[in-house]
Amino acid sequence: MTDSLKTLTAGMLATLMLFMSAVAHAEPGTAEDSKAVAERVEDLKKKVIRLNRDLFILEEDLLFPASTQFAVFLSVDAGEFLKLDAVKLKVNGDIVASHLYTNRQVTALERGGMQRLFIGNLKAGTHEVTAFVEGIGPNNRAYKQAATLAFEKGTETAALEIRIQDRSSDYQPMVSIVEWE
Amino acid sequence: MTPPVAFVARVYKPRIGARLVAVAAGCLSLMLGVPAAVADGTLERAKDPVYGWVLYNYHQGEAFEALTLLDVARERGGIRGHGDYPTLLEGGLMLSYGITREARDLFTRLLEDANTNDSVALAPEVRSQAWFYLGKVFYLEGDYPLAYENLQRVDAEVLQESDSELYAEWLYLRAQLAMMSERYRGKGGDKAGDETLIENLRKRLKHSGPWAHYLSYNLAMAGIAADDLTQAQQRLRELITSMEGETPKDELVSEHRALLDKSRLSLARLYLREARFDDALTVLGAMPLDGVFTDRALFDYAVAATGQGEMQRALDTLDALSQRALFVPWREQVPYARGYVLEQMRRPREALGAFSQAAKHYEIRSNELIAARQALTEENLMRRLNVLRNSDEIITDSYGRLRVTPIDFGLSEVLATESFQQALGELNELYRMQALLVQREDQLSTFETMLETRRLQRQRRSRETHVELEQQQAGDWVEAQGAFRAKIEAALVEEDAEFFMTTEQKALKYRLDKVAATLAQLGSNANDTTGQRKTYKRMKAYFDWTVANDYGVNRWAAQKQLSELSREVEEFQSQRAAIELLMAGDKKHNELAGRLARNAAELQSLKTQVQGALAQARSILMGRLDSALEQQNKELRRYLLASRHAQARLADQLFRASQSTEAAND
Repeated sequence: MTDSLKTLTAGMLATLMLFMSAVAHAEPGTAEDSKAVAERVEDLKKKVIRLNRDLFILEEDLLFPASTQFAVFLSVDAGEFLKLDAVKLKVNGDIVASHLYTNRQVTALERGGMQRLFIGNLKAGTHEVTAFVEGIGPNNRAYKQAATLAFEKGTETAALEIRIQDRSSDYQPMVSIVEWE
Repeated sequence: MTPPVAFVARVYKPRIGARLVAVAAGCLSLMLGVPAAVADGTLERAKDPVYGWVLYNYHQGEAFEALTLLDVARERGGIRGHGDYPTLLEGGLMLSYGITREARDLFTRLLEDANTNDSVALAPEVRSQAWFYLGKVFYLEGDYPLAYENLQRVDAEVLQESDSELYAEWLYLRAQLAMMSERYRGKGGDKAGDETLIENLRKRLKHSGPWAHYLSYNLAMAGIAADDLTQAQQRLRELITSMEGETPKDELVSEHRALLDKSRLSLARLYLREARFDDALTVLGAMPLDGVFTDRALFDYAVAATGQGEMQRALDTLDALSQRALFVPWREQVPYARGYVLEQMRRPREALGAFSQAAKHYEIRSNELIAARQALTEENLMRRLNVLRNSDEIITDSYGRLRVTPIDFGLSEVLATESFQQALGELNELYRMQALLVQREDQLSTFETMLETRRLQRQRRSRETHVELEQQQAGDWVEAQGAFRAKIEAALVEEDAEFFMTTEQKALKYRLDKVAATLAQLGSNANDTTGQRKTYKRMKAYFDWTVANDYGVNRWAAQKQLSELSREVEEFQSQRAAIELLMAGDKKHNELAGRLARNAAELQSLKTQVQGALAQARSILMGRLDSALEQQNKELRRYLLASRHAQARLADQLFRASQSTEAAND
């Protein structure tokens, strides 16, 4: 009987020690294996990023050559007076892009991010771009505003930015389209 | 009942599983703070749309996309107007995406440059926090020398001033490292003034909430490991007293309770080890019945009661424990313990029944485990885990570890280990890579189709151009130009003024020649034509004079026209040659096709590598699970054997007792 008690108590204490030692010790063999796999995964991640980069560039070179490439970005400066909801983009009278924003996207824009709303091809010459912005404006009212820009596309890549800014003079949002040099 | 395993893991590996999980997120917010710090607290506008686009992805936690864009920007000459901040951002993104070694090199390069190079104007707090996060990542990965190296670079005062929470964590990590080895105790070794470095760090941590408690707990555990049980008990008692007197913030209540219970449990076990059953019962009795460690406390309570000779109390406790629905491996002891206690209570028949039940239970469970081991596949494993998902996407923490709880609680212990979590996370990461590569393979095949379509269109246009060129009769034009040039050159040699006459002059000459012909027909004797002949002569003389006079101008005009024509013909010929060259071969197409082929080959090679890594990760994961199940089975077999021995012993005892009774009756 006493032996059984000793066995039981010893068993329990062994378990106890096992739990306690789990904090300090790790299995050396498995740790090495894990490290090897972790390093392999890390190396693969780098390679996948590189491949993704090459494919990104290849896609642009193939579909949007520099001579005709035309991109439109969108940014929100502060976003105090407009909670962005949706954007529609027209190029030469045709709708080429529209986007509904999630909260996460709006936050990313308000924190200084810029969304590439559209990428396409345009011939050299004069073109007209119109952006329609919708959202919740001051006093929680539905807000819509449009901005238009006529611009000259040369033989280089063209990039425009739809800029939504806070106008402190009248506490209203302001939408403008600017050209990146 | 038992809360998610991750919670248990948090206590076993103090804070590693939970608090430190926020490292990457912290790194990201640090990097986010970077531009702000420069621009006096206001967000700086992107001066390069690509940088803005990177930030857009980065703020949404899309590290892979942001890293790709940064790589694209680098390939195209870099991001303009933001100095070294894109690189700093890249470092943070790399940490978040799990490319830690590369991130370390990048940070080291950048932060060391910042010390020597004025163009890298990093605010001191940004620099200190970056070193801190880097050190923390290495600590998490178990690379302690590097963790120590980076944590040592932190400016303590700057960090304390900029973020007291990080400062506390920094002290904690330093103490943890110092506990591990003397190598991590700095130049002064174990001494910091009159006290040990660890003690000094602990004192500095005193008012920093949970970190100080975790450190105290870990120091007690280190005491146990060093066989200094008196000191360990003393530390645990102090910790329990200190924690009992505290009221934590709402968000820390459950964590506080869990650590307090864990400390009580550890102290009680130390008392049990020294057979101080009364003390153990007192400590365990103070534990709540709805805590994380209630089940273990109940079992230890039963052990203490047994040791104290209070068998009924022990039995009641074990019965209460048997009623618990969830099953974890350590609780396999309960059926055997019930039999043992009943035997101690001198109730051999009930004890025999309990041991018999225990043996049956162990046998069934053992067979289940054998079957589980034999049918062990990744699919089976996944079926036994509940992975947290957001629509179709598996949710992971900032380190890529899956949010997972076991459906089969037999897995909870193995799942709680850091190595298993890491292996599971890596497996998931490799699957994501595999899916991405399949997606990219589709994309490449679309590109191939596009390129082929382009080639065919080009061929068609080349054929059309050929026909058009033939219709232009380019050879005739060139021949005509050559003949014209020869005529002009001959006229120049002969100074043939007539040749260079203007169209008007030629018309006048024609008319004069006509008049001359008419006069010639009339004859030289005709008196009535004298006047006309005079007029003709005068006109002719004037005409000749005009032609001679205009010769220089006309010749120059003809030469000018000839040279213009020559130029046009030359341009025409060079254009034609260029078109013919373009038609003969497409350099652009070949270049794109070459890139496409290279990318396709790289993609295939990556797919093979991912496949290999997947097999390795899978085998490690399965190996771990298999050893865990094997270990469980060994334990079960031990209990089964002990139960059967007890059964035999009791049956024998009862048989002999019945025989003695019969003999007495006879």
